[in-house]
Amino acid sequence: MVNSENTKAQMRKGVLELCILSILSQRDAYPTEIIEKLKETKLVVVEGTLYPLLTRLKNTGLLTYRWEESTSGPPRKYYMLTEIGSSYLKELHLSWYELVDAVNKTINKQD
Amino acid sequence: MNKTVTINICGIIFHIEEDAFDKLSKYLNTIKGYFSKADGGNEIMSDIEARIAEMLQSKTSAVKQVVLMSDVDFVIDSMGKPEEFAGDASENNNSSDRGEGYDTYENGEPTKKRLYRDGDSKVLGGVCSGIAHYFGIDPVWLRIALLLMFFFAGTGFLLYIILWIAIPEAKTTTERLAMKGEKADINNISKAVKEEAEQLKKRMEKYGSEFKDMAARNVPRNAVEKTVDFIGDLLLNIGRVLLKIVAIFMVFFGIICFLGLFGTVFGMSFAVGNLEIQEWIDMILLDGSDFYIGLFGIAFFIGIPIIMMIYFGIKLLFKIRYYNRWLNLSAGILWLIGFSMLLYVGIRTGQDFNKVAKVRETISVVPNDTLILKMNEVNINFAELHVSDDSEEGEKDFSVNRRHNNFMIGKHGGVKYLLGYARLNIIKSQTNKIELIVVKEAHGSDKQIAKTRAEHISYNVIQQDSTLLFDNIFKVNDADKYRDQDITVILKLPVGKVIYLDKSLENMIYDLENVTNTYDGDMINRRWMMTENGLKCIDCDGLISVKEHDDDDRDNYIDPNDDSNGNVRINVNGVDINAQDAQIKVDSNGVKINSRESKLTIDKNGVHVKTKNNH
Repeated sequence: MVNSENTKAQMRKGVLELCILSILSQRDAYPTEIIEKLKETKLVVVEGTLYPLLTRLKNTGLLTYRWEESTSGPPRKYYMLTEIGSSYLKELHLSWYELVDAVNKTINKQD
Repeated sequence: MNKTVTINICGIIFHIEEDAFDKLSKYLNTIKGYFSKADGGNEIMSDIEARIAEMLQSKTSAVKQVVLMSDVDFVIDSMGKPEEFAGDASENNNSSDRGEGYDTYENGEPTKKRLYRDGDSKVLGGVCSGIAHYFGIDPVWLRIALLLMFFFAGTGFLLYIILWIAIPEAKTTTERLAMKGEKADINNISKAVKEEAEQLKKRMEKYGSEFKDMAARNVPRNAVEKTVDFIGDLLLNIGRVLLKIVAIFMVFFGIICFLGLFGTVFGMSFAVGNLEIQEWIDMILLDGSDFYIGLFGIAFFIGIPIIMMIYFGIKLLFKIRYYNRWLNLSAGILWLIGFSMLLYVGIRTGQDFNKVAKVRETISVVPNDTLILKMNEVNINFAELHVSDDSEEGEKDFSVNRRHNNFMIGKHGGVKYLLGYARLNIIKSQTNKIELIVVKEAHGSDKQIAKTRAEHISYNVIQQDSTLLFDNIFKVNDADKYRDQDITVILKLPVGKVIYLDKSLENMIYDLENVTNTYDGDMINRRWMMTENGLKCIDCDGLISVKEHDDDDRDNYIDPNDDSNGNVRINVNGVDINAQDAQIKVDSNGVKINSRESKLTIDKNGVHVKTKNNH
């Protein structure tokens, strides 16, 4: 039997970057907030996935962060988009729509 | 009732049940293992910890203060297992340096095997089980092998300690998996080597064809780049192979050196008084404590570099990149300690050689017109000799070759002595009396000590009628140590007095001045008279002096009927052997061999052979 879970996970992983950047383009957020949003849409199954990704995006210069004190816990790391991040997101948006379009066409043709 | 532990995550204090704590810390360690090699691994870790702190905080309240097992399970569930998410971290920074033994988990590929100590199935430090994992064998064999090696001067023990220090313990899951990864047995190693060679060959072919292409298409810049790439690649590969060879050599050579050193040190410290070299060391060093300080000094001074060589060899061989600063530091300190110990002993001993003193003792001689000079062979029980010079132990007829610093250690009546050869010199006396002076010489830390030591040297000259008997050997009590003692006997002979040099003196006389410049070896068995200019031979018919000898060389003919009874001379001028029926002469003119029946001459004109029957 082919493991469809694995394929689904790979698909989710591919678009996760786009989703994170989109969430942050609306407003700055700290990881928990991002996770909650992603969980709502079932895009993230395990939280651990997020942290390496955030660090990677930050290290490539798409994101940056600031510390904010929290009243109820440890200080929070608020992530925000950099200028490069914004333009990168625009590009991703474009290619995403192209991809969705292309995929839809392909799938529909086969129906 | 359960025990709780207080922990601090991201600056927030939690009371956590002990078993929950174990699970959580194991979980965090596993994640840490996955991210340890990734870019920003620490950052990811602290982000995750912050999140965990937040989650745990939401699970506790003023009423429920303690973190329970179920809370930790919840955290792990929502965070996910490391293998579910850690791939993301290594994916992007890995592609660049794969094949360098990078630990990766993506695509479920088996990781490259690395050497770690196995803390889970250890007897001592998990060295054997770790190596067993690496080679895919049963650790029992390694343990047996090491145990056996222990009996070879403790090599097994040393090796174990070095391996223990050199090999890091597998702490994280990553490391545990890397430890148990693909088997690296002999087959695999040879396979890997073959593959490496194959790859190298392919690459060379590839570069070769590319290079040709480049040359054909006339793209010089690229061609140069490719060449540089190729050479770099080649050097890198050759370097890797060389490094392995060097590493293997370092380990094996190190072990052999260690065995040698250990044998020496062990032998010297336990087999007290039974070794030649030790007797000498006893003779030279001031006391026993110096001996042990020196011994440990040598052990550290030589042993530490050997051990470090094995250590670095192992690290190179198994690509262990773990760095132990304390080890290097302590090794350095121990080495310096060893060096200082040697220096201390060296300086202390050296100082005792600092000053030299000579003592002159006059021995009265009953005058006689012709004094016969003979050597008295000192009777030493050579069977008891532990140390002799060139001769075999216990051999009685040792040849007394007068050389500088030619000493022996021997036992005489149960007492240990240092024995040296005395030297005889004969000079002209300024008075008309025969004087015999024994010059004793020794070294010491100051003049007085040196003088006392010199006085302690025992040496005898006995007169029996007209014969003077010179001891060939002087004795130094072992309490006086070897301090470069020396005896020179000076016989001052008034003009007109005659001496006869007995054959036994051959090796005792050294560069005796005489008017004919005759070599010492030619002076024996003859009578010599003291003249105003020095010793002159009075029964030297047939003896050719050096000067006459020089003139002789121009003479092409050797008189076959020379009536001397045989004469052998080998010196700077060549070889000159005169027997009753044959002569051999080798000198600057060539080679001449004459016998009754034939004659062979090799000179600037060529080779001439003459025989009696065939002219």
